Amino acid sequence: MKIESTFKVKKGLAEMLKGGVIMDVVNAEQAVVAEKSGAVAVMALERIPADIRADGGVARMSSVGVIQEVMDAVSIPVMAKARIGHFVEAQILESIGIDFIDESEVLTPADDVNHINKNNFKSPFVCGATGLGEASRRIAEGAAMIRTKGEAGTGNVIEAVKHMRTITNEINEVLTCDTNQLVALSKKFRAPLNVLEMIKELGKLPVVNFAAGGIATPADAALMMQLGCDGVFVGSGIFKSGDPAERAEAIVVATTNYNDPKVLADVSKGLGEPMVGINIDTLTEEEKLAKRGW
Amino acid sequence: MKVGILSLQGSFFDHQKSLDLVSLESLLIKTPEDLDKVDGIILPGGESTAMSKISSYNNLYKKLDTKIKQGLPTLSTCAGTIILAKSVIDGDTHIPNIDIEIQRNAYGRQNESFEADVKFLNNNDIYCFIRAPKIIRTLNNDVKVIATQIEDIVGVSQNNIVSLTYHPELTNDNYYLEWLLAFMKEGKYVGSF
Repeated sequence: MKIESTFKVKKGLAEMLKGGVIMDVVNAEQAVVAEKSGAVAVMALERIPADIRADGGVARMSSVGVIQEVMDAVSIPVMAKARIGHFVEAQILESIGIDFIDESEVLTPADDVNHINKNNFKSPFVCGATGLGEASRRIAEGAAMIRTKGEAGTGNVIEAVKHMRTITNEINEVLTCDTNQLVALSKKFRAPLNVLEMIKELGKLPVVNFAAGGIATPADAALMMQLGCDGVFVGSGIFKSGDPAERAEAIVVATTNYNDPKVLADVSKGLGEPMVGINIDTLTEEEKLAKRGW
Repeated sequence: MKVGILSLQGSFFDHQKSLDLVSLESLLIKTPEDLDKVDGIILPGGESTAMSKISSYNNLYKKLDTKIKQGLPTLSTCAGTIILAKSVIDGDTHIPNIDIEIQRNAYGRQNESFEADVKFLNNNDIYCFIRAPKIIRTLNNDVKVIATQIEDIVGVSQNNIVSLTYHPELTNDNYYLEWLLAFMKEGKYVGSF
């Protein structure tokens, strides 16, 4: 007896990624650099978020050729992004054997009401969230992993911090409420009641929660880990910096040793230029990717 | 007694939960100094390439290797088993201590990950195999096969080491937990269990 792709197995892969760094790459060479630097997985993209932001226009699923090239180049899991609600992009990614699908606000949404029913897929999904309501709705749709949205492509960690703190505070509200208040909390957060019940029983989210969106330095990664994340995604922060391999390695070591400032100081030394950041208050509401998702 | 869990990356908190369930004290191991404080060690699942890279920062594997060779009770799962294998097909060896030949991601990619019935010693239960490696063969007679999934070898023991390719820490059934307690206390493979 052998059953493939149960929810336990989907969630299990996310468990194995814990404490690790998932890196955005645009080709096989970058993927190899990421793997050698200690990445636990790579996100295969045509353009990293900073470039998507700069270029404008409609951002879609990356070309299948680029994704397959990355899958062939490394032995670690490979993730790829589908547009919010674009279940056919997800079907295509599943058919080429992708290890994880990111239903991502970094791409232009394909549906302004619905997300993908992720329970219909063999491949596990990761989804962004800005608060507990959004995280819970994605889990109800079948997400096996959650990440903060942050503000991708900015190199500015403030939004990721805000989203992580919001999720933590709202979980604490669920844990400290008495069960008579649970339905009211479900209404307040727009969170499915059964997911809140799971959280109350487990004392935490039922799936792994990573930090993403704006992480650019070893200190940023350690900050998110100290705030209680299970691991980090680094998008533009690595390959938009002066010395990608060295920065990638430093962020990996910092994510493991997030509680040891001496190690953090050591790996932060002589890293070269980080990516140039963007101040969030210079972005218009339409330019904020975290607003996408319903 | 205190059991260490290699905590560079991977499912180390899940193993900590297993140890909590049998009231064994645990310590998350990140530095060579941490290894002096424990009487047993668990190498968890995760990505073996990432763990090895992270370990090189403070040379943790060198001391871990010495401790294992000195007889520290050692349990490995999934990527942890790749780290201990003497021969890795299409991959690097890390701290070779168990005489097996292993193949990484042998069942395929994540879509081929599965749950299946495993015979572990005298018990059957359902466990997760996640992008799991496969033990292709044992390299000598010192290695005992202790877990099978149909005809595949999924668990072996040699001296003070037990190596599995699946994830008992995600199931935490009573048989496994009682065995874990006995193994860490005995300091070696508990075959009569």
